[in-house]
Amino acid sequence: MAELRLKFIEKVYDRKVRVLAGITMDIADGEFLVLVGPSGCGKSTLLRCIAGLEEISDGELYIDGKLVNRLPPKDRDIAMVFQSYALYPHMKVRDNMAFSLSVRGMPKDEIEKRVAQAAEQLGLTNLLDRFPRQLSGGQRQRVAMGRAIVRDPKVFLFDEPLSNLDAALRVQMRIELKKLHQRLKTTMIYVTHDQIEAMTLADRIAVLNGGLLQQLGTPAELYESPANRFVAGFIGSPSMNFLHGVFKRGERPSVAGPGFEFFLPADYAKIEGMPDEVTVGVRPHQLDPLGKRHGTAQAKVEVLEPIGWDTHMHCLLGDTPVVAQVPSEHIRGLKAGQDVTFSVFESDVHLFHPQSGYAIRPGQPVRAE
Amino acid sequence: MMCNCKHGSAIMRTLALSALILYLLCVNAYAAEELTLWHSYRGDEKLALEEAVRSFNASHPELQVAPLAVPHEAYANKLTSAIPRGHGPDVFIFAHERLGDWSRAGLLAPVTLEEKELERYYKSARDALTYEGKFWGLPLALKSAALYYNPRLVPIPPKDTDEMLKIMREISRPEQGVYGLAYEAGSFYFHAAWLFGFGGYIFNDKNEAELNAPANIRSVEFVQSMMKERLIPEEPNAALVAQLFNEGRAGMVINGPWFAGEISKDVSYDIVPLPIVSATGQPAAPFLTVEAIFMSSKAKDRDNAFEFMCYLADDAAGLRATTGRQAVALTQPLLPSGKQIDPLAARFLLQAPYTVAMPNHPLMRAVWEPAAQALRKVMRGAAEPTDAMNRAQLQLRVLTRPAPPEKSPSPYIALLLLIIVALIVWLLVWMKRHEGWRDMRRAGTAYAYLLPAALSMILLLFLPFIVGTAVAFFSHHEGEFTFVGIANFVSILTSSDYAVNDPLSFYFTLVVTVLWTAANVFLHVTLGMALALMLRHKWLKLRGVYRVLLIVPWAVPNYITALIWKGMFHKQFGAINAFLAWFGVEPVSWFSHFWTSFAANVATNTWLGFPFMMVVTLGALQAIPADLEEAAEIDGAGPVRRFFSVTLPLLKPALLPAVILGSVWTFNMFNIIYLVSGGEPEGSTEILITEAYRWAFTRQEQYGYAAAYATLIFVALLIYSNGTRILMKEKT
Repeated sequence: MAELRLKFIEKVYDRKVRVLAGITMDIADGEFLVLVGPSGCGKSTLLRCIAGLEEISDGELYIDGKLVNRLPPKDRDIAMVFQSYALYPHMKVRDNMAFSLSVRGMPKDEIEKRVAQAAEQLGLTNLLDRFPRQLSGGQRQRVAMGRAIVRDPKVFLFDEPLSNLDAALRVQMRIELKKLHQRLKTTMIYVTHDQIEAMTLADRIAVLNGGLLQQLGTPAELYESPANRFVAGFIGSPSMNFLHGVFKRGERPSVAGPGFEFFLPADYAKIEGMPDEVTVGVRPHQLDPLGKRHGTAQAKVEVLEPIGWDTHMHCLLGDTPVVAQVPSEHIRGLKAGQDVTFSVFESDVHLFHPQSGYAIRPGQPVRAE
Repeated sequence: MMCNCKHGSAIMRTLALSALILYLLCVNAYAAEELTLWHSYRGDEKLALEEAVRSFNASHPELQVAPLAVPHEAYANKLTSAIPRGHGPDVFIFAHERLGDWSRAGLLAPVTLEEKELERYYKSARDALTYEGKFWGLPLALKSAALYYNPRLVPIPPKDTDEMLKIMREISRPEQGVYGLAYEAGSFYFHAAWLFGFGGYIFNDKNEAELNAPANIRSVEFVQSMMKERLIPEEPNAALVAQLFNEGRAGMVINGPWFAGEISKDVSYDIVPLPIVSATGQPAAPFLTVEAIFMSSKAKDRDNAFEFMCYLADDAAGLRATTGRQAVALTQPLLPSGKQIDPLAARFLLQAPYTVAMPNHPLMRAVWEPAAQALRKVMRGAAEPTDAMNRAQLQLRVLTRPAPPEKSPSPYIALLLLIIVALIVWLLVWMKRHEGWRDMRRAGTAYAYLLPAALSMILLLFLPFIVGTAVAFFSHHEGEFTFVGIANFVSILTSSDYAVNDPLSFYFTLVVTVLWTAANVFLHVTLGMALALMLRHKWLKLRGVYRVLLIVPWAVPNYITALIWKGMFHKQFGAINAFLAWFGVEPVSWFSHFWTSFAANVATNTWLGFPFMMVVTLGALQAIPADLEEAAEIDGAGPVRRFFSVTLPLLKPALLPAVILGSVWTFNMFNIIYLVSGGEPEGSTEILITEAYRWAFTRQEQYGYAAAYATLIFVALLIYSNGTRILMKEKT
């Protein structure tokens, strides 16, 4: 268990390619932090820098108050679970899990005890004498976790561990991971590109894009108060709808564009430096077709995707495609090609600066770049 | 008078046409007489021969001579195998030394010349071509060694050995690599001059070989004393002698007419006959090789053949003495107008009266190896002349062991037939049980596609193998094969002729071969793996350059590698000893002791062979996922532990076949052993394959014995490779 501090971590390859452009964050002891972002955003690189598999070009990394930039991986007291499991194919499960302990010269009976314990926790007791090639994907993943658990490290690092599993297994393993964290209470840093995994597992999420930290916060914070357009569009599935509109001051501030007009909370009128044109964001399930909310948006239904309890409505609002997630019973009888009018609560409307992408909210300065 | 014009012209045309056809036919039939001539001449001699043939062909339209130049190395073997089968030449040019062998094998036809014709040739030439009372060819040229000297270092050439030693003592400065006399002292061919000069002989009155005759021993002592006084260079070889003379570091050289072509233009030299041996008052008499033109016993037309032979020996002698620069055997050749006898040839002719014809005794060929070994041992200081020559005599006797008694082949043939029948029956049963016939019918076209490959494999692989193995059941002696059953195998495996720790024993050689293989494979794998691991690191600049450089040893033809390394291990002029001298190490005589000679071989072969293992390892390393090593790194394993616990076990599946291949190749690595150590000292560093070679080609052509050796090598490797295969299976 340990806290980590990252200060302006930079990673440059060949003096040209800057994969990490200065990441600063603090990770609390026992926290489950998820690094999430699209491909190439630098999340795996950051994880490897924390592990010590990559050298940090600039900046400082502290584990439990100790500067570890120069320390090799084995001295950082961390354990890592790889995307491809990286099990030693020529060793049995038992030996895979025992390897790190035998390297450190732990006495044999102590090793056996720890291995048995971890195997029990993960349901691997019957598989201890098998070779990795004789195991299924999920079993291999658990062995990889077992290998990390026996180490009893300060920090667990996970590099997209569930990507190679099928959908059903992924859900199951997610739950197991969460239970593991609850039991061990160790600091865990988890990398994924899947934002659902991020939302369900994390205590806090760090969203990365282009080597920069976009936002660090709890799943709720990221969902409800995204710091910029990227985070807003990344978190939430189906993703937030974006429209272009013009801001109107007044007692009841609103934002309007072709085919829609949404109202905003009153304190939006007091924001200084509000640009005339703004990007408007509304989440799919916040669009209500029954006219029970405020504001209007006229759209034409193109495709209806029932997904059980809800239906995804793919519509065209003006020229912009939008998606609405609506309880199926609210739109019985609605067919593709028909017109529909949506309404939205004031508090559900997000504004973003059209150039910088930063969110515009009352009480915080408008950032134009 | 053209009566019936149409018919008339038609008849005329037909007649003319038939006459033309008839004429062409006659001409062709007339010009069909061809005489094939084989030779291995090069350079000036070849030019002279071709000119002689041209003028003969021009003046003999009904008899055309077709010359064929044969490379020298396999020339003799080609003759012995082609002539009996009728594929050989009608006439051929060769040195006289095999005369005894060949006449007894029935390859030659004797020739008769009138007395006064005979006397036109030098006596030594005539004697050389006489065997069992008959005359066997016409002498063309005389070849022997003589004394070359550099007038700048040696203004007046010595008349006797006392003068020669005096000059040598004045000139020699061994620390600077300057010597009064340089010649291949380890070669029996050159030593013969001293041997005969001291009154020695090879074959005594009873026509038996007597290498350890007292006079022979004295001649060796003479050379030893020159060696001890450091008047002649150590470990001399042909290349070294030429280099020393060309660099002006050798005052005198004993060599033959071919040496003139190796002397560089800015070195002045002259040639005189070898000095008189002061101890005996007799001239040092080198071997005389008489080059003669012989007639094959299967020649199509003996009269025609003889006509050309006389032309070449007699009429063309002048051409050969001038353009060909030969010391012709005809005492008074008719020279082309305005030309003189070539000065080089003239000099060597002065030596001719003081030469001893190379004995054409069949045993002569077996003499070279033991005699040379004895000389080299004395030169290295590893033995005294008396002991060395005694041992040579003993070796000679053993090497010319009599053939095993002939056995009847019937029981073996019966056994073979039984085995073949059993195999066929088993095959049929197997086919029946596994429905092989049905499968074969179904896959008919597939088998058709396989047929060419199968045929070539049978022709190129199985047939030679079967023939080779069959030869092991015979004994070869003077051209005849006699069936001896398993006698060869028995004699090899029971080591009946030699003690087990004698270098000639099969077991000694086997142990050396196994040691050789193990040492090499170990070094190859270790070095190759180490380099592959180093080449992996990304921070190593110029990785690509290193990779190419490291492949180079493998790419260079290995006989060139062998010769270069052999030169580097030369005791006096070699790079290795020069390098060691920096550290104050005394010059090592690498090929005088078993372990240093063995080490030299191993060093050369390791240099040759590590790229293969390196490349295999590099490839296998790519297949190891990077995150395995990262996981091990995180698990806390340092580089060494990572290598042994993770990398090496994953390399094993790829390395194992490479190791098996490598050990089979090394086991049979002929080139390095033959060219680097040559088996020195005394054949102890020979491996099975080089030993088999020597039995076949340097020890009286004991093909059967050699084939038995080869079969045993095959069996050994078969056991080894199958053994490792089974071990591999158990592991996984």
